Amino acid sequence: MRIRAEYRIGPELRFLSNLETMHMMERALRRARIPFALSEGFNPHIRLSMGTVLPVGLWGEKEYFDLELDGKMDLEELCQDLNRVLPEGAHIIQARELAVTTPSLMKAVNCAAYGFILQMMQQDIATICQNILKADELLIPSRGKKKGVDKDLRKGIYKIDTQVAEAGVCLMFWVGTGEPLNIRYDELTDLLQQQGIPTQAIVDVFREGNYIRINGGLYSPLER
Amino acid sequence: MKDRLFRDILPRVSKPIRYTGNELNIIKKDWDSSRVKMVFAFPDVYEVGMSHIGGRILYGVINETTDHLLERSFAPWPDMEKLMREEGIPLYALESYRPLTDFEVVGFSLQYELSVTNILNMLDLAGIPIFSRERTDDDPLILAGGPVAFNPEPFSDFFDLFMIGDGEEALPELLDEVERVRDLPRQEKLLRLARVEGIYVPSLYEVSYNSDGTLAAMEPLYPEVPRRVRKAIVADLDEAFYPDNPILPYMTVVHDRAVLEVMRGCQRGCRFCHAGMVYRPVREKSVATLQRQARAQLENTGYEEVSLASLSTLDYTGVNQLVKGLVAEHGSKGVGVALPSLRVDAFSIDLANEVQKVRKTTLTLAPEAGTQRLRDVINKNITQEQLYDAVEAAFKSGWLAVKLYFMIGLPTETEEDLDGILQLLEEVKGIGNRYARRPVEIRASMACFVPKAHTPFQWQPQDSIEKLQEKISYMTRYRRRGIKLSFHDSRVSYLEGIIARGDRRLGQMIYQAWKNGAVFDGWSEYFRFEHWQKAMEESGLDPQFYVSRVRSFDELLPWDFVDSGVTKDYLRKENEKAMEGVPTLDCRREDCTGCGVCPSFEVEIDLRGGDESAH
Repeated sequence: MRIRAEYRIGPELRFLSNLETMHMMERALRRARIPFALSEGFNPHIRLSMGTVLPVGLWGEKEYFDLELDGKMDLEELCQDLNRVLPEGAHIIQARELAVTTPSLMKAVNCAAYGFILQMMQQDIATICQNILKADELLIPSRGKKKGVDKDLRKGIYKIDTQVAEAGVCLMFWVGTGEPLNIRYDELTDLLQQQGIPTQAIVDVFREGNYIRINGGLYSPLER
Repeated sequence: MKDRLFRDILPRVSKPIRYTGNELNIIKKDWDSSRVKMVFAFPDVYEVGMSHIGGRILYGVINETTDHLLERSFAPWPDMEKLMREEGIPLYALESYRPLTDFEVVGFSLQYELSVTNILNMLDLAGIPIFSRERTDDDPLILAGGPVAFNPEPFSDFFDLFMIGDGEEALPELLDEVERVRDLPRQEKLLRLARVEGIYVPSLYEVSYNSDGTLAAMEPLYPEVPRRVRKAIVADLDEAFYPDNPILPYMTVVHDRAVLEVMRGCQRGCRFCHAGMVYRPVREKSVATLQRQARAQLENTGYEEVSLASLSTLDYTGVNQLVKGLVAEHGSKGVGVALPSLRVDAFSIDLANEVQKVRKTTLTLAPEAGTQRLRDVINKNITQEQLYDAVEAAFKSGWLAVKLYFMIGLPTETEEDLDGILQLLEEVKGIGNRYARRPVEIRASMACFVPKAHTPFQWQPQDSIEKLQEKISYMTRYRRRGIKLSFHDSRVSYLEGIIARGDRRLGQMIYQAWKNGAVFDGWSEYFRFEHWQKAMEESGLDPQFYVSRVRSFDELLPWDFVDSGVTKDYLRKENEKAMEGVPTLDCRREDCTGCGVCPSFEVEIDLRGGDESAH
């Protein structure tokens, strides 16, 4: 049985790397005695595949992993069992069964939403959002593999939204991940700086979710 | 403090997960209702410190079995240290995020001589006076334990007390006494603590020297202070506390697995080996205890591997039964068994095949010396044939890489012995070519021999840096495909040598080295010999006195007052036998060799595995 689970990595676990998050999950699966399937071969490991990498320093509202089980299991029960043993800050929200043909998370997820909590007035941010959306080109020095080359973020920014948050205003970006255009959260930080938002005004950054974008529509990885 | 760390500090450092705490199975005791508050401070980074079994044991024994509290602190990596200094953040403990100055006792683990500079740095980062004499009633008591504490003298300026021997035995008692003497002035407090078994308080002794610089006398200042300090010892390891619920780090630490301590001590009697002498006698756990401990640890951590630790795991009398039992019970769940070090014989390989049914990584063997003559000198009782048999068995069963450990600079070593290492490697490579399916890779790691206190070689001179360099260049002229040689830094070994057999006059030099910038000296990327050279000049210290001198058997040695149980007489006889090339056999199989530990500590060799036929 192949399943996909949606989980939350809270602010207290924001400094875990992707590998460390994976180890945390694997060890929780063992403690909870989930009937996971093991790979064949010399070094058998749990058939667990994590979704797109959550950058070190960010917490994540809705992250995903795929897991293969040895046989059937009630998924409510799986979530409960895991949540009993997971450390504070990590929580399985829900899980569903996947068809054998469902593409992997790495292949399917092509959009992520990053939230920036800003200590600023909402109207100032509204202006900045308009400027970003109006621009034909948003050139930022690339932070990824092509260091030193300017990268145009504009085509990779799909949507911007603002909401009032506890500590100020939450500015949310829906951006492309993976192919063809990968927008990193730190490139968005640079963009905000370029638009006149000082670093000190950014009090928190998190990833709200991961999405599958098809023909302009956004779907949760649990839906597709 | 925590908020500030998470918001302002940690996003700016490398590997911030080192500094966050909050791991699974962490024990956060109520501060106010805990009796004595102590922090266990490890003078290296988190991922090294969290791999240390002793720390796991002490953490559990204090927090789970007493009403005292034990938190953890590690050396921050230089980027974090810089930020902490800039932002005025004192060194803190990972459980409560409280600064170290809030604790009554700060205990450092002394695993390695050169980690002392990190200790000074940590004290400084905590705002605690570096020198014991400068501390007042308001400062914590600064304690050190671990193998290096068996010669505590070089560090005596910096510590108020030392704990010598098995910590799970000594520490609960020490903390009870700390509570009882809490309201006394510092000096009286120390006087009372000096009476606890295994505790040494350096400030309560007066030391005098002869005109040639050797030690003349070491006298207690008060009649109630013991003349000799006996190590603390766990008589029954099977019954001793062992953590079922170890902390599970988020970070991938150096030894990231469940660990079973199958036995303590080793009776092989290798004459260079410090641990083999000071942790006598051998005390084993029973297979049933170990199986229960493995089950508990795996259930509570979810680890995918369990490792069998000790000084010589293949000598554990229950190893066969234990390994097979663990594989049978946990193997189907994808849990592996790891044997950290292998003995050089075919039995080892058979057992290794058992645990690694398919995956063949590197096989590690330690012949230590290149000729039979020199192996007899150091009492490494293995023959060329045993070694070749082991290697042949390994290659036949599919291993493709062998790593071999040697030492250079051993007493009586000649060019022939160095040639012997090279010939041995050549032979091993040849066996590989004959029996392996693919070209094999041979790696040899050469450490520079450092004579250690409490060993039969404690009177022997150590090779100078120049001499070691000569030997290294002699050996590196040799190049063969598929054989890689690597050497330890002879300058590091030289400094280790000064401290390993040093006395309390080294304090100023160590302090100067730290002042000059020495920190993380065990990490080659941070080691700067210049800092130490300058410190030796500044403090007027003659390193040759500690390193190159032949000590006379009559000389009073700075560590003689530490009673490890092994008599000086025995060490001397072993030294003499070494010079004659006469081996001493294992006292488990042969007669008692008379080292002295069993009668003087009223303990005995404790074999619980029951399967001696395997040996």
